[in-house]
Order: sequence, then C-alpha cells, then structure tokens
Amino acid sequence: MRRIDRTRLVAAASGLALLGVVGPVAAQTNASDPIKIGVILPLTGAGAGLGIPSRNGILLAEKQINAAGGIKGRKIKVVIEDDTTNPDAALNKANNLIFGEKVVALVGPIQTANTVAVGGITAPVKFPQVALGGLGPAVELERKCVFHAAPPQNQNARAMLAYAKSLGVKNAAALYDSGYGTVVWNQLSKFAGEYGIKFGVTEKFEIAATDTTPQAAKIRASQPDAIFVIGVTGVPVRAIRQLQMKQPIIAAIGQATYEIVKSMGDAAEGVVFPEFLVPEDPLPHQKAFVDAYKAEYGRAPKSIESIAYDALKAMSQAIGKAGPEAGNEAICAAMRGPYSGNSTEYDFSAPDMTGIKLNGFIYSKLVGGHFNRLPFKNAE
Amino acid sequence: MLLGLVSQSLLSGVTNGLIYALVGFGIAAIFRGAHIANVMQGEFSVVGAVVVDVLLVQIGMPYWAAAIIGCLSGAALGALIDVVFIRRLVAQKAPDDSYLLFTIGVSITISAAVLFLFGREGHLLPPIGSGQIFIVLDAVVQEHALWLIGISVILMFALRYFYRRTTLGMRMSAAAIDPDGAATIGIDVRAMRTLTFVLGGVLGAIAGILITPIIPVSYMVGLPLTLKGFSAAILGGLTNPLGAVAGGLVIGILEALVVMQMSSAYKDVVTFSGLILIMIFMPRGLLGRAGRAGG
Repeated sequence: MRRIDRTRLVAAASGLALLGVVGPVAAQTNASDPIKIGVILPLTGAGAGLGIPSRNGILLAEKQINAAGGIKGRKIKVVIEDDTTNPDAALNKANNLIFGEKVVALVGPIQTANTVAVGGITAPVKFPQVALGGLGPAVELERKCVFHAAPPQNQNARAMLAYAKSLGVKNAAALYDSGYGTVVWNQLSKFAGEYGIKFGVTEKFEIAATDTTPQAAKIRASQPDAIFVIGVTGVPVRAIRQLQMKQPIIAAIGQATYEIVKSMGDAAEGVVFPEFLVPEDPLPHQKAFVDAYKAEYGRAPKSIESIAYDALKAMSQAIGKAGPEAGNEAICAAMRGPYSGNSTEYDFSAPDMTGIKLNGFIYSKLVGGHFNRLPFKNAE
Repeated sequence: MLLGLVSQSLLSGVTNGLIYALVGFGIAAIFRGAHIANVMQGEFSVVGAVVVDVLLVQIGMPYWAAAIIGCLSGAALGALIDVVFIRRLVAQKAPDDSYLLFTIGVSITISAAVLFLFGREGHLLPPIGSGQIFIVLDAVVQEHALWLIGISVILMFALRYFYRRTTLGMRMSAAAIDPDGAATIGIDVRAMRTLTFVLGGVLGAIAGILITPIIPVSYMVGLPLTLKGFSAAILGGLTNPLGAVAGGLVIGILEALVVMQMSSAYKDVVTFSGLILIMIFMPRGLLGRAGRAGG
C-alpha cells in the first residue's frame, strides 16, 4: 500500500511539473485580462546604461500599442524585471515571468551572457523571446525561438569595415574593451582582409578602464590610416584625441549614445558610427518615433531605444498574428518572417535570428556634439 | 617615434599613478584614523566631481566656488556616513569584516544614487589653467596633467605634515591606534573618527575634481578607482601618503611599460603579478616600517 501511494505521489508530482511547463500560456484565458509580456533588462549594475533607455523604448511601444486598441481588442501589459546585469538574476527573473506571472512572451535581456542563460529555459519549451542584443555564441543558432532585435557582431564589424574601405583605409589600428569590444574585434579581424584592410597595432582595455592613454600612445606610434574603437565608454576616444591623433575614428554602435558622446567631450568631433537612428536627421519613417519619444521623455532617442521599441512591437505583432491564446509555439512561429521596424528591416526567419542586412545600417558623424547622418550607404 | 612612445608611456604612467595615489590618500587617511578598509573611497570622488559639474555647468557657478562646494559635499558625505552608520557599528562592537561589508554596501548605494539623481552620462570638468598642450620629447603633455602632478605632490607633503606636526593629526592617529588610551588623555575619540571621515571625504572629492578633466566620471567609475587606489595605498604601506604616491607610481608606470613592451591584454596580469611579488618580498609595503608607521 505504501508503495502504491509513493508511485501515485511521484506520478502526481510529474503531472504537476508537466503542467508547470505547458501552463504559462494556457493560464491566460480571460479575454478581458491584459496580455502580459515579460521584459528582462539590466536596470541596475554595469548594464544600466543600456537597460534604462531600452525600458523607455519598450514603455513607449506599450503605450502606442494600447492607444491603438491593443492586440485583438486586448490591452498589453509589460511586466518589467531587473536582471541587475547578472545572468543568474536574469534566469531567476525569466522563471518567475514565465511560470509565475505567466507572460506569453519575453523581451530581453540585453547582454549576451544573460540572453544565453535565459535562452536555456525558453528554447527547450519553444517559448518566444526577443533579445535586445545581437546573436551570441554558436549555441544560439540552434535556439529557433530566441530572436534578436540587434545585429550580430559580424554585421557590426562588416558595417565598420565597409565605411573604412570607403575612406581608402589600408592600415588600421583597433582599441577595444575586454567585453563587447573583444567580441566585435574577433569579427573585425576575421573579415578585415575581405575589405582590403590590415590591422597593425590592436590594443585592449578593461571595460571599466579609467584611462587608455598607454594603449593610445602605442597606436600613435604606429601611425595608422584609421582607428577602430569598440567599447561602452568615451574613455578610449578621449585618449586618442588627447594625444593629438587626427586619424578618422570609426566607433561601434554601442558608443552611439548621447551619454557616451558627452563623456568624450571635444574629442567626440568627427567620430563615425554605423547605427540605426539619427534623431537630428531621422529617416522619413523614423520621424514619428523620434517625435513621440521626445514628447514622452523630453529628450531624443538613439538606436538602443529604437531597437527595444522594435522588439516589443515585433513581438506584439506576432502575438496578434498567432492569437494571444495560440500558445508559445504558435507565437514563436508567427515571429519568423520579415518585420519592418523603426530601426531597420528585420527578417526573423534568417539563420542569425535577426536578418538585418548591411544596407540596413545608417552612418552618423559627430559634429559639435550632434549626430549627423552621412550619405554613405552599403550596397548589400 | 620610439622616443615619443617611451616618453608618452612614462608620462601617462606617472599621471595615472598619481590618480591612483590621489584616491589612495583618502583610503590611507581613513585606514589610519579609523582602521577601516574603505571600499567607498572612489564614490567620494564621483560625488565630488558630479557636484562640481552640476554647479559649474547647470548653475553657472565660478569654478573655484563650485570646487569648494564639491569638497564640502565630500566632507558632508563622510561625516554623514560616520555619524549615522559607523557610530552604530562601533557601539555594537562590530567585527572588522562588518565594516568592510558596510563600505561595499554604501559604495553600491552611492553608485545607484548617482545613477538615479545625475543619470548615466559621463561627467567632464574643464581643465585647470588654459588647457594648453606641450610637446616634450615627442610626447603630448596637457597643462592639466602638470597641475594634477603638482597638486598631488603638495597634498602628499601637506598630509605628511598634518599627521606628523599638527596636534589634530596626532590626535586622529592616536584615537585609531589606541582608542581607550587616547580617551584617558582627553582625546574625543568619536569626534576624531568623524574628522577622519570628513578628511577622507574631502580628499576623495579633491581627487574627483582633479581627475574629471582627464577621465569622464560616471556612476560606474567609483569601484575601479577604489581598487586602483587600494592597490596604491597597500603597496605603499596603507597609512602613509608618501607610500600611496610610491605605490601609485609603481602601478601606473608598470602598467604603461607592460602596454608598451607587451600586449595590453596582459596589462593587469603582469602588473598584479609584479605587485604580488613586491608584497611577498616587501610585506610591509614599499616604504617598509616607515610606511606602516606613517613615515
């Protein structure tokens, strides 16, 4: 008798566990309830500089979607969680959102490590997720429900190299940080030959480095045609200009924010970025977003805000297409396909789970602390 | 160009070393006066710099007035932390590790407060002087870097004089070395500890104001500054301002030479391996017993 009870207990527990896995979508059955979409962002810690503007973009998208009637007549409600720039916290928050809050889809996180961690629980159950960073390690190629609203680093690298080639750069130097910078640098070094560019001195610095003058001094001695700078602060650009180097600086999209540009001071003059939004001179289809963002927050948005805005809108469109009660696999399937975003044209069915093409980048140059859109355009 | 590389590397090593020393001064002062390893020292610098930036840029106050208020903000923050928190910990006879955990917590809290109140942007102050650039041995020398070097040296000697020659400095040291003994000869131990934190806050703010024309200061900068300042202070003997300068210069120049001769990827590995060796063979720091005793 005791054995039977134990067997039943195990069976019941297994059943409950199974329900736990399939339960999150099935739980939202009341048609008057808002459709909950989970959002995981780094709102504190080192990544807060990315998380806070992303939250603003997402909240604006939520407001606009609800003002336009929501999804099939139902409002959406974003449930925002802070991953504290920590993969462990991101994982806990994702579990809570999916199995506790019973959201129908996830937007975020941003950092690669956090996205990979969360993908570990969303991918096995085909739960729809749009990360706000680009495709990370190879394991993500197998995760067909973890989409990316930002370009993979090979595209960022190619976009930088293409511009350098247009300037006639042959010998380049690179100054990159130990995190994001290293990932982009690996791709730059891989593709440089295709663009006829050779890297000479390449120097690395810590993400939170307060000074990179020794590295810049070494670059100065090598007299490159142009300098590629990849990081998340204005420190390396300042170091280069403080040493009176006049070469063109091509910086990665991660530095194309007003905050980082302000921290560059006068050194920002002439720095070029491949990116997606120049609020001073937006593309015609981006003007409404820029105006709405300014009206909401009293300041101009940049690519980070726009990418987050696109992520929520793309996911909401997929939920609408599949139907909010269709289940996670159906929503995931509905996400796969082209999407005309504010930032660029996406194709979430592409192998890199984002489908951003090189001609989807725009280029900006800093003049007097303002971003100026350049006429340069990649031919894809 | 090789001459330029060597001289530029050495110059940046000296400048960075003195930046570490400036932060190390405050760490040394608080360790000397309260025997607390203060992980929030870099945050004093961030607060001082951000306050000056706000007063200067947003309110339009003259630089000198903004700098004085920036130093006072560091002093006020130091006093507040002692009066509101440290006194309670002392009254409850908290062990040493509690103070370390406390300062880590306050460091994170101040960083979050700066993010909340002043945003995520990096703050930059105008350089002291006319912002001239000099070319010396093919190296670019900013006028502000010379001011930073000069003020650091003056501060070092001023602190040395303060601790060795003034009654207040000696009272502060005595109150930390033997609180009971100091109390029996009429020294107000509590007041001395508060003054220690005030001094630490002012030194942190001065460091922040001097650093910010060179390094953009944001909510993220405090901890990295503290770590380098700690390294400088410990290497020099932890309680001696002269030691902090010696330690800072060793770290700064070693970093610059590693970048120049090897790859920057190995900068921290080689630098900190060097520091480990120094600490193994010179466990009392670069200045030996003099460093520990305060020179």
